[in-house]
This record gives sequence, C-alpha cells and structure tokens, in this order.
Amino acid sequence: MTSEQDTDPLRSPRQFEPEESIVLPKTRNSALRNASPASSIASLPYRRSNASLSALFASTSTLPTSNASTSGTATPTAGLVGGSIFSPGTTDGITQPAKPLPSTPDDPRHIIAQAFVPHVAVLASTEVDGLVIQKGFPGGLLQLLRPYGEKLNGKVTVRDSNASSRQLEDFGIRFKGLRDGLESPRVPDHVNTTRQRPNGNSFPESPSETSHIRMRTGGDVTQIEELVDRHLIFAESQFVHEEPDYLNFKNQGAGSLSSPSRFYALYLRRLLSGLPMTPHETFSHPVACVIAISSRTPSPIEELRRLYTSTNSGEHRLPQWVNNEYLRYYVLVHDEEHDDMSRSQALFEQMKRHFGLHCHLLRLRSSRCLPSDDDSRRLPSCDWVPAAEELAEIQRREEHEDDDDPTPCLFESDAQSIRSLVREMVTQSIIPMMERQSAAWNDQVASRRRGLSGRFMSLSKRLTNFGPGSRNSSGPLGGTGVSSNYDSLQGFYRPDAPEAIMRKLADYAFILRDYRLAYSTYDLLRSDYSNDKAWRYYAGANEMTAISVLISNQAVTTKMRAEGIDQALETACYSYITRCGVPYNALRTLALGLELLKLREASAADDGARWASRILENRLVGPVGTALFTERVAACYESRIGFGSYNWGSRQRKAALWAVLATENWMKLEKGAQANKCLDEAGRLYKTHGDGASPLAFGEMRLFIDELRQAVKASRLAAAEVQDDDHAEEEALVEATEELDLSPRAHRKSLIGAAVPPLTSFDTGPLSPLSPARPPRGDPQPSRDDNFE
Amino acid sequence: MSYYFAIVGTKDNPLFEHEFGTSKQGGDGIARFREEARHMNQFIVHSSLDIVEEVQWGSGQMYLKHIDRFYNNYISCFLTGGNIKFLLLHNPDPSAPNTHASLSSQPNPPSASTSRLSTASLGASSRTNNSSVASNPTSPAAEEAVRQFMVEIYDAWVKNLMNPFYGLNAPVKSPVFRARVAAAAKKYL
Repeated sequence: MTSEQDTDPLRSPRQFEPEESIVLPKTRNSALRNASPASSIASLPYRRSNASLSALFASTSTLPTSNASTSGTATPTAGLVGGSIFSPGTTDGITQPAKPLPSTPDDPRHIIAQAFVPHVAVLASTEVDGLVIQKGFPGGLLQLLRPYGEKLNGKVTVRDSNASSRQLEDFGIRFKGLRDGLESPRVPDHVNTTRQRPNGNSFPESPSETSHIRMRTGGDVTQIEELVDRHLIFAESQFVHEEPDYLNFKNQGAGSLSSPSRFYALYLRRLLSGLPMTPHETFSHPVACVIAISSRTPSPIEELRRLYTSTNSGEHRLPQWVNNEYLRYYVLVHDEEHDDMSRSQALFEQMKRHFGLHCHLLRLRSSRCLPSDDDSRRLPSCDWVPAAEELAEIQRREEHEDDDDPTPCLFESDAQSIRSLVREMVTQSIIPMMERQSAAWNDQVASRRRGLSGRFMSLSKRLTNFGPGSRNSSGPLGGTGVSSNYDSLQGFYRPDAPEAIMRKLADYAFILRDYRLAYSTYDLLRSDYSNDKAWRYYAGANEMTAISVLISNQAVTTKMRAEGIDQALETACYSYITRCGVPYNALRTLALGLELLKLREASAADDGARWASRILENRLVGPVGTALFTERVAACYESRIGFGSYNWGSRQRKAALWAVLATENWMKLEKGAQANKCLDEAGRLYKTHGDGASPLAFGEMRLFIDELRQAVKASRLAAAEVQDDDHAEEEALVEATEELDLSPRAHRKSLIGAAVPPLTSFDTGPLSPLSPARPPRGDPQPSRDDNFE
Repeated sequence: MSYYFAIVGTKDNPLFEHEFGTSKQGGDGIARFREEARHMNQFIVHSSLDIVEEVQWGSGQMYLKHIDRFYNNYISCFLTGGNIKFLLLHNPDPSAPNTHASLSSQPNPPSASTSRLSTASLGASSRTNNSSVASNPTSPAAEEAVRQFMVEIYDAWVKNLMNPFYGLNAPVKSPVFRARVAAAAKKYL
C-alpha cells in the first residue's frame, strides 16, 4: 500500500473520464454502454460541484408539476438539496412572474398560446453589448432581456377585430437575435464540433456569433430527442429511490396517463421553441426590433440611424421574403454608475424628437453583480430555449467544475427597469401596432378578398389561369406573370403580395388570440395557395386552420371535425411530408392537433389518438419521441369515458394496449422508471375493466405482461443497486480526507465498470495481499482499495 | 396475408383461437406472423373489443365488416346473438407491404375537396382493380369473402352450441370445429 502504486491507477481513469461523458449522446441507445454514462450522470447531483447542473435539469423538468425538485430532495444529500430546491427558489423568489406558472399548467392550449407570441429582435450597438458583457452577461443585451419577455407582469388588453377588448393573462414576447432562426440548427460542421470534443476542454468559451444563432434555432427533432433523453437519464437516476413518501405521494397518486408527463411537456415545449424562420409562416418573423444604444456612444443619433439602416439594407437585412416594415423600438441604455443622468435625459428627449414615441430609457448599473450582494437576483431561466441551446448549456455545466450556479446575477433595480421596459414596449408599442396593422390589413386586403368582388376576382384569376398563364405558373416564369404572385422559382410570395399580407394578418390574429379572425383568414388563404401550387404555404395554412378552430372555444360538431379539421390536418401533413419534405412541421401539426383534439369531448379523443399513431407510423420522431407519443395515444384513449354502467364506448382496452406498448418502448430505451409508470397504468386499465371478469383471459397477453413486469423490476433493481453502491461509496468519500485529490468520478467508474457487487469486495478484501482489509471509515484507503480491483 | 381468428366470449375471454395464412394466389395456408410480434395479435384483438362494443349499436347486422385498424392490421368482426364475437385479424405479409404503406402514408390527394370517406372508398375501389382481394381487407370483395367465411363459421358455431356437453363461455376444444374453421378459411380466404 505504497502511495506510488496507488496513485497511478487513480490518475489514469481520470483521464478517460471526459470521454465517457462526451460519448454519451452518441451511445444513448446502445444498451451495452448505457450503464456507464447513465451512472456518470447519475453521480452528478451528489457532487457539490455540479449542483448547478441538477438545478438546470430541475428547472426544466419541473415545468408542469414541480415534481422533480421534490423527488430530488427525497434523496438525502446536502449538496443536492442546496442545489435543486433552494437555488431555483431563491432565484425566482421575487421574479416569480417571469416564470410561467399558470393555474392550469399542463393545458396544451396554454402551451400553444404561449408558443406563438410576437418575436422581437434585439440589435444593440457595440457599446451596449460591452456594458452588458461587463456586467457579466456574455450574451449581451439579448441574454439580459430574454427571460423577462417570456411572461409579462400583469394583464395585457387586446382589442380584437370586433373592437371588443379582452384581457390576456399570460402574454409574453420572445426576444431573439435579428437573424436567429434562419440557419438550420444542425449543420454538418457544427455537428462535428459538438461531437468531436473528446478532450473536453476545447469547448469554446464564447462561441462565435454564427454558432449562437444556430443554437437559437429550434426545429431539429434529433436535438429535441437528445435533450429529452438527457433529462430522462437524469430523472432515471433520481427516481430510483422513489418511495411514496409525503413529498411525492400526491404526484404518484395523480400519475395517471391523462396528465402529460413532464417529459412530454418538455418535448412539446422544445418542439415549439425557436421556431425556424421560413417564408411560409410569419410567427418567427420579427414583429419589432429593439435598437439599443448606450449613453457612452459617442454620436448616439448617428449610431441609431446607422443601426436602423443596417436593418433595412445593410448586414442585418433579413431575407427578402420577410416583411421589413416591422416596428423599430429605440432604447437608450443609461449607465447609472458612470454617466450623467441629466445628459442622458437630454439625449433621450432628442431621441424622442427624432424617432417618435417608440423610445425608452433603460437605466442599468454597469458594475458586475455578485451573488453575495444585497439585492442581487439571479437571471431567471428561460423556458422557451431551443433544444440545441439547452443541450449546450448542459454540456457546458457538465464540463466545468464550477462550484456554484454560473447563472449571472443582476441587481433588483436592473431587473425592475428591464421589466418595465418590456411591459411598456409591449403594451404601448407592440400590441397597438399589431392591432393597427391587423385592422388595416383586414380592411384593405382581407375584406376585399372576402367580399363578393374578391371572390369574383379570384375566380377570374383562376379562369385566366387556364390560358397561357397556367403553363407559366408552374414554369420558372410564374412569379412575374400577372396570374400569380407566387414566385415558384424561389418559392415564396413577396411580402407585399396580398397573399403574404393576409398570412401575416392571420398570424397576428393568432398571436393576439383572435382565433375567429385567424381561422377565417387561414381558410381563405388555403384556396389561394392551392391555386398557386404554393405547397408549403398551403400546408401551413391548413395546419393553422385546423389549429385555430380547435384552440378557440367554439363548439366543433362531429361533422365539422370530419370534414374540416381532419381534411386540413391530413392535407397539411401530406404536403409537409411528401411535397415539401419538412417532417418537423408535420410533427408540429400533428402534435398540436392531437393535443387540442384530446381536450375536446369524447369522440375527438379518438381522432387525437389516430393522429398520434400517424406520427408513429410516419416515423416523424426518434426513439424517445416514439415512447412519449405512444404514451400519449394511451392517454387519448383513456381520456374517453364511456356511457352507462357498462362504460360502453370507453377505450380502456385500447389505452391499456398502448400503455403496454409504451412500456415496451421505454424498456428498449432502458428507462425503468418510465416503463414502470406505464406498466402500472396498463395493469390498472386491464384490471378495472368490465364486471370483475378475470382481467386477462388471453394467455399470451398475460405471459407477455408478466415478462415485461419482470424485466422492469429487474432493471429497477439493478439501477437501485448501482445507486446504493454509489451512495455508500459517496458517503465514504465525503468522510475521507481529500488530500490526494481523488477524482470521485474515476472512483465510481471503477466500481461500476467492473460491476463488482459490494459483497464480493468484502470477501476478497482480506484475502488479497494487494488490497488490504477494509480500513475504518474516515481514511482515504477504501477508495484506493476499490480502484485496485 | 396472415390471419388470426379468435372467438371471444362475453367476458373478454378467448374461446377459440386459430392462425392461418391465405390460400388464395398460391398461398399455402400457413400463417406467417413474425415470431417476436406474435403476442401482439391477442393484444390487438383484445383492444378492438372496445370498438366492437361501440359499433354493435350502430347497425342491425351481425357482420360488422372491418371495424378497426392497428398500423396495417385490420380487424373484422361478426357478432352472434349471444354476444359472442368472431374477430378476424388480417396481417399483410412483410414481403408485400407496398399497398398498405401507401395507404397509411398517402391517404388522399389534398386537391380533392370531397370528404374523407368518399375519397377513401374511391381509393379503395380503384385499388381493387390492380391488387388482389386478399391483400386489401377494406375492399368490398374482401369484405364479402370475410362475410362468407364468418357465416360458415357461425354455422359451425351454432352446431357446436347445440352440443349438450358444451357450457357457455367455455373454450372450444372440438377438433371437428377446428377442422371446419380451417376448411372455411381455405375456401374463402
């Protein structure tokens, strides 16, 4: 037991360790290697160093039910408690409104309404970004503003097309970079940089701007899968010790399938966040752009002009299919600590004279705020970050052995002023502007189109299409012809074409939750797009027609559902997949349609289940999504209640079948906790059915379920065993003095990799001359000893 | 095409199960279910009982045609007066999946403004022209063949019921009955 012998084997696994954790995303599905990454993640929360990581998981996976944080605390480790329950608590203590915690959080209607909100671009001068970076926000002004846009304080009043006003409780906006959403989130070289990072420390501290933009783009199903899988692995490690104690007892009782699982909600959220910018829908096109200068800027008015022109013609000009007449909102950032308020005030007055009323003076303190400061707040976390960004964040926190939460802090006064900026901008500029534009477009374009003459015009247009124009419209010259505004060569309508304006009108109406107007406009657009053979637009219009009918509260008859909604979903799905090859959009269509149908009355849930199985049939999702959506089908069937005492018309057997399938899928992914949940559900459904008949008279079914139950139990036991070992060792380690700079991970790896049960180590311990008998706790020996085996 | 035929009693209990393959088009009458998915037949048939219970109130017929679909498995049902269900599961062979893959992924051309139902039947009738009866369970010809099969089995079933040693909801063990089912299968499917 010379130290020479012992330290060497201790060092070497430590060098392997980064590879282990990096390899994880690639090998998540392989059953063979799953054990080690899972356990390496499982170990994370127990180390003080990665409390921040567990906070990251907790904050995201507690979205609907705040379930994970309670179960996290059920595992009794001091570091974890501090990490997962207190840190979100303290960060969000006062900034509670920033976090969307509505009364019915799992209501998909709510998620959908929140997903489609105005997008506001942020364009800051270098001085502003310099100031904010100096404050400790490497992402610049955008990072600072972003969390505060997600949920506005108080209600927002919106006037709809009938001039009746409504109060929206949970309105928000999404801040983004001006060119976010244009590039595909996963480009081959980008994949390489994320994947090939074996040494672990080559992660760029401040990634280049383009990769940031890329990361802020959602719509990549693979990344969503990967992210949810990370959350699942984390949860798996947490839920092993789950006993129905008083903390999570209630959640277990409510664990029926009809309430969506946290992971499903996460999946849906990530599916809907970071909507890519495309010609065919304008949700992610900027509604406004914040142009910010600072009081330090040498020639402020010129700088503002320069930034303004750069959005019109310069480097920040968006592609030509984006309507460039969005609102510009001018913000003067005043540095409270270094600049003179009266000078800023004068400058602000000047700005107002030049640029009108859409101006705001934002007062920030320029010094960096430390968590120990008096009125410090952590920057609230964003709920609507795209999957790529969250993955990068998880990876970053895994690799950095930071002791505390790396989320930067800011002063309460700063937070206050940002909140008031956002609120003022939304209520006094953005919403009035959107209302005004909607009204104008509705009057000038849509109603003309809707009226008799409009119908006639479109008819005559269609008739002339039979002439020489019809050949043109499909040929390369189609766009310039009189017959059609659609540029079929480049595949978009110019933003001033009536079709594009109406689409924007409909999208605005949808954003402002005037679903009736949105529906009627989308409905009109469908025929136009179909005539022009603008298939992507056509699919988009169909998708939103169906969704705006379903999301509104109006009653939908069976006939209407069969003819209108089914048809619309069907065509949207078909056009997206077959004609345009954009499975992401098809997945979004089906997922939203399914969720909204599920909320409707009995027979609609059947349709929901049908659409969900369509998702599975078309293989729009990966393995994790398959399991989640299978679970969802079961939930749809289960939510249908039968009539009378015999429950005729209920779908219990179907729900049970799908629950079994979900169990099987989860087992394939080695997610014991999820599988267990589904299996319990299936058992419940099979048992309670009927009038006390023997539940499963079919022999093979019973056999299969029994086998499944065994497998689930075995996997749960195995997981628990690993974790128990982990616990014991961890405790030993905490007691041990850390003078040797042992890597706890290396230590654990040796244990799991060799899969040595603790019992055998006790047996062989005294016999082997190399590994001495277990010394008493409180000595560093036990860990060295283990490493030896 | 492989078939799984089950007679389900009033308490969701199977009374009789039989697997066979198509005998049309040179089929040898042997079921070709994938071994790892064989248990799914029971699951699928069991789950479609939900639909039977709903559909049975919709028409006065005993033969309910195809009532349910699970991926590309179709289920046809015949309901006896005693609430005994004859369920037949059609499973296309993995070797010839083309018609059903296209059925599920390309349902109907969106330009057609007719309702879903009519396009579906239109598509079905157009398909019957080029594809065989056996490979398309929704075509009228296939429905008719299944009906004849079911009626034949009903005949055998009634005779079986008249056996004084047969109790209600008891499994059918008679080899004669099984032979009759096999003969009917060979004759019609």
